[in-house]
Amino acid sequence: MTTLASIRDLTVTYRRDGNEVTALKGVSLDIAAGERLAIIGESGSGKSTLALAIAGLLPASAKVGGRIDWFLSSSGAKAPPSVLPDISPARGEITLSPLPSPITNVAEGERSAKLLISPLAGEMSGRTEGGVTECQPFKSELNKIPRLGRDIGFVFQDPSASLDPVMTIGKQIAEVARTHLSLTWSQSYARAKSLLERVRLPDLDSALRAFPHQLSGGQKQRVAIAAAIAAGPKLLIADEATSALDTIVQAEIVALIRRLVTEDGMTLLFISHDIALAAELAERIAVFRHGQLVELGMRAQIVGAPAQPYTRALLDAHIGLDTRPLLNRARLHA
Amino acid sequence: MNLLAVSNLTKRYRRGGKTIAAVDDVSFHIDPGETLALAGPSGSGKSTIARLVLRLIEPDDGRIEFESDDFLALSGAALRARRARLQMVFQDPLAAFNPRATVARVLDDPLRIHGIASRAERPRRIAALLERVGLTANLAPRAIHEISGGQRQRVAIARAIVTKPSLIVLDEAVSALDVSVRGEILELLLDLQRQEKIAYLFISHDLGVIRSVAHRVILLDAGRIAENGDAQTVIGAPQSAIGKALVAAAPRLNRAGP
Repeated sequence: MTTLASIRDLTVTYRRDGNEVTALKGVSLDIAAGERLAIIGESGSGKSTLALAIAGLLPASAKVGGRIDWFLSSSGAKAPPSVLPDISPARGEITLSPLPSPITNVAEGERSAKLLISPLAGEMSGRTEGGVTECQPFKSELNKIPRLGRDIGFVFQDPSASLDPVMTIGKQIAEVARTHLSLTWSQSYARAKSLLERVRLPDLDSALRAFPHQLSGGQKQRVAIAAAIAAGPKLLIADEATSALDTIVQAEIVALIRRLVTEDGMTLLFISHDIALAAELAERIAVFRHGQLVELGMRAQIVGAPAQPYTRALLDAHIGLDTRPLLNRARLHA
Repeated sequence: MNLLAVSNLTKRYRRGGKTIAAVDDVSFHIDPGETLALAGPSGSGKSTIARLVLRLIEPDDGRIEFESDDFLALSGAALRARRARLQMVFQDPLAAFNPRATVARVLDDPLRIHGIASRAERPRRIAALLERVGLTANLAPRAIHEISGGQRQRVAIARAIVTKPSLIVLDEAVSALDVSVRGEILELLLDLQRQEKIAYLFISHDLGVIRSVAHRVILLDAGRIAENGDAQTVIGAPQSAIGKALVAAAPRLNRAGP
């Protein structure tokens, strides 16, 4: 398995009302190239902060410690398993620090050897104190550093907030392609049209000219996904991307994400509060609570044989179509 | 005798020169102490029905009988008095409360406005209400925005039961809560129902939750009733196209293994 990104001792602190709030505490996690990894947790678990940190979208006021190393080979997620990170043509590294220029790129060294022996599955974040890794900033080679839009696509919960209300759908998608792929406008529009077809929007020509408010919530989310993948990113991050949609549309969007990720060999980071939904889509599940990684494992292990009491509690709290109804239990007590 | 009887309820909207029936000839009833769930995709009319039943909006057609009165004919003081028997809890209590109010203030208002308790008596009543919904009395001076989402929804339920309602409309009332909190709030609602014989009109997109707490369910599609019946039976083996689609789309947690 090839590692796409290696997160070590990631700690994120926000200032809120004069208080320091730690959103993530010493999180270490490897994201494998081409995998579908779900990050699940309840409110305050730090799951969205993790997504923002990976995408480089944390607010400037956030205090960040630890590091994220990227292994962006030219063939990206489709790299054969034999291509090890330390011989891949490009290694980017983001050192997360309060320094003004957080993007750095380091030379090959002892760091990659350390990464290779780190276990991928079942890894826990044990270190919450101390362990923030300092890294000497190097001159960056920007083309090897993940760029949001080009290397990372991000889909948010509320497509109305992420789409520009006064720009046509076609232009919003074409703009991404034009910015990151150096295409002409007409090439970009052609790409936008084929993307809208891939996300199964009906009536492509009028959709290209439509404004976001003319679409339903599910259609808007399809457009947001089309824009997110327009530059062919290696990593797609979906942060509660289906939570505002009704059940039927949610299932359609989940199926769409699964299909696109498979077709393009993208890596998927699926952030959700819904463990059942995450289990339907992901191969691995990371359970977060209070800013810490509680448990990480393959889907079957997390769902079938959770090691941590909190994971078990989350599973027990799920009310599904096969759960014993509360009403029946209440009748027994009555 | 039905607590609530809705017949031929219709609400039309004009959109872009076209008339759309958000609720189209819908009839149902709720008995005392019963939970009737409304489910359906976005735009199926479930929240519009809730707003019509609460008389937050007026129907174009149809009849609503509540506690044996023609509810749509009530106005002024008679409507206000009857509204005390019909309460509501929404998805986001932060939007339903004055965010700068304290917990005590939120509960004091209905006690005062409906003349339920004297000024001297009210702090004791507020403490009792908080305890009834599983909170402690020392929460009373806290601001609404300071407390957790689960606590806030408990306060919303406490406010709803102040006036001793016979029916509470719950519009996605547990949808925004964390799963660990959701179960507790559902238990509280069931407990109140058993103790006080409160009926619920339970609106949710979550068939798992509906199957867990509702006696009966109505599945809506484009403003019309597609299917209705015993909640566990309908969700266990839906007959309508929309019922089958809703059940098929519900995420499943296949907990195999030990």
